[in-house]
Amino acid sequence: MTNNYILIETKDLKKNFGELEVLKGISEVIHQGEVVSIIGPSGGGKSTFLRCLNLLEKPTSGHVYFEGEELTENGNLDLHRQKIGMVFQQFNVFPHLTVLNNITLAPMLEKKLSKQEAEYKAMELLKKVGLEDKANEYPRKLSGGQKQRLAIVRALAMEPDVMLFDEPTSALDPEMVKGVLEVIQQLAEEMMTCVIVTHEMGFAKKISDRVLFIDGGVVVESGTPEEIFDNPKQERTKEFLAQIL
Amino acid sequence: MGQGIIEVFIAYWPIFLKGLLGTLKYALIAVALGSILGALVALVHLSKNKIVSSIAGIYVNVLRGTPLLVQMYIAYYFIPMAFPILNKIDTVYFVLFALVLNSSAYVSEIIRGGINSVDSGQNEAARSLGMTAKNTMIKIILPQAIKNILPSLANEYIAMIKETSLAGTFMLYELMYTRTLLANKYLVWQPLFIIAGIYLLVTMVLSWGVKLMEKRLSVSD
Repeated sequence: MTNNYILIETKDLKKNFGELEVLKGISEVIHQGEVVSIIGPSGGGKSTFLRCLNLLEKPTSGHVYFEGEELTENGNLDLHRQKIGMVFQQFNVFPHLTVLNNITLAPMLEKKLSKQEAEYKAMELLKKVGLEDKANEYPRKLSGGQKQRLAIVRALAMEPDVMLFDEPTSALDPEMVKGVLEVIQQLAEEMMTCVIVTHEMGFAKKISDRVLFIDGGVVVESGTPEEIFDNPKQERTKEFLAQIL
Repeated sequence: MGQGIIEVFIAYWPIFLKGLLGTLKYALIAVALGSILGALVALVHLSKNKIVSSIAGIYVNVLRGTPLLVQMYIAYYFIPMAFPILNKIDTVYFVLFALVLNSSAYVSEIIRGGINSVDSGQNEAARSLGMTAKNTMIKIILPQAIKNILPSLANEYIAMIKETSLAGTFMLYELMYTRTLLANKYLVWQPLFIIAGIYLLVTMVLSWGVKLMEKRLSVSD
């Protein structure tokens, strides 16, 4: 599934919120084409780690490299971020823009796509997630699941090299979860590099090439889904899995 | 007691009308120019640079923490004295200058509040798409903030209509100034009630308009 090209690398990533050490030094590598799920208890640092990967959260110390270049506030951060799609727990769709304009805004502004090009591509993406008939609606008319699918294709419209998912189904009603997971799975099958913070253990097991268990601000254990879910080695991993499975 | 209120109003209504138009005009100038200046102050205030931001903070605190009347006196007496080159300018403008500065402080807080009221997830979503800070502000944050800003701005205009009454002290022809004009005709108490009635009527009508606007704006949520 993966090749050896390193897409994202973190070196001794640390993040403090005031006195609180949320990340205590994480060095990890994400390869191109890899699907990595991050699991762990709330407050363990998994979302913060993910948010550091595109510098939405500024690390207190340590480094993040994307496609071989270090991400910094001053470097071409906006350009790099165009290549790093992100999907949020709360969707964060733009309520004042139609579904179509949610998708076309950034490509037109930042990649200078013409309106026709951007709209053509947006419609293709909307078809892919079954929202083409909502193109001219405002997001308030969408269900949570539809909003999240919109948020995913909005990120895809920038043609990113990696997609970061921050608990993409945690805010959804149970009956909405499946549709969103299917979209993510489809992306994974298309060889999109994905990093997914999730509480959906069944999904993580099915879809991932690798699973990271993050707790207490460190990667406690990492391995294939079988290694983590079926034969966890660390006590903390075992405890966590025993609690939720 | 002499003449009654209605008789005075019928006899001198053109004076009151001219005063009201002056009031509406000066309040509009103060809020319009104050909005432009206030927007700049708000942007400076929102700067990540703490020193730059605190300069705007001091500006706002000074102007909101001191009485407008004091600010007007300083503008009226001190500015022409400190800058003799400005002596030829009509003193009306110094009083207006104070009104504009005062309004800009309030408006900047309205704008800052409006911007801060937009969910931070909106900023994060836009920035994570690779949108620049500027494009994010213009295309994502401000269009959403404006819903909160517009009604407050209209309320600021209503407040300013009352504040401009202080400008009559400096001979600006606005509603309160009509009191001075008619006092010269030995009409002391009647104009006060007429003036109060006009202020009340105007602010009530405008407040009702703001409520209507708020309703309209919230429909699209």
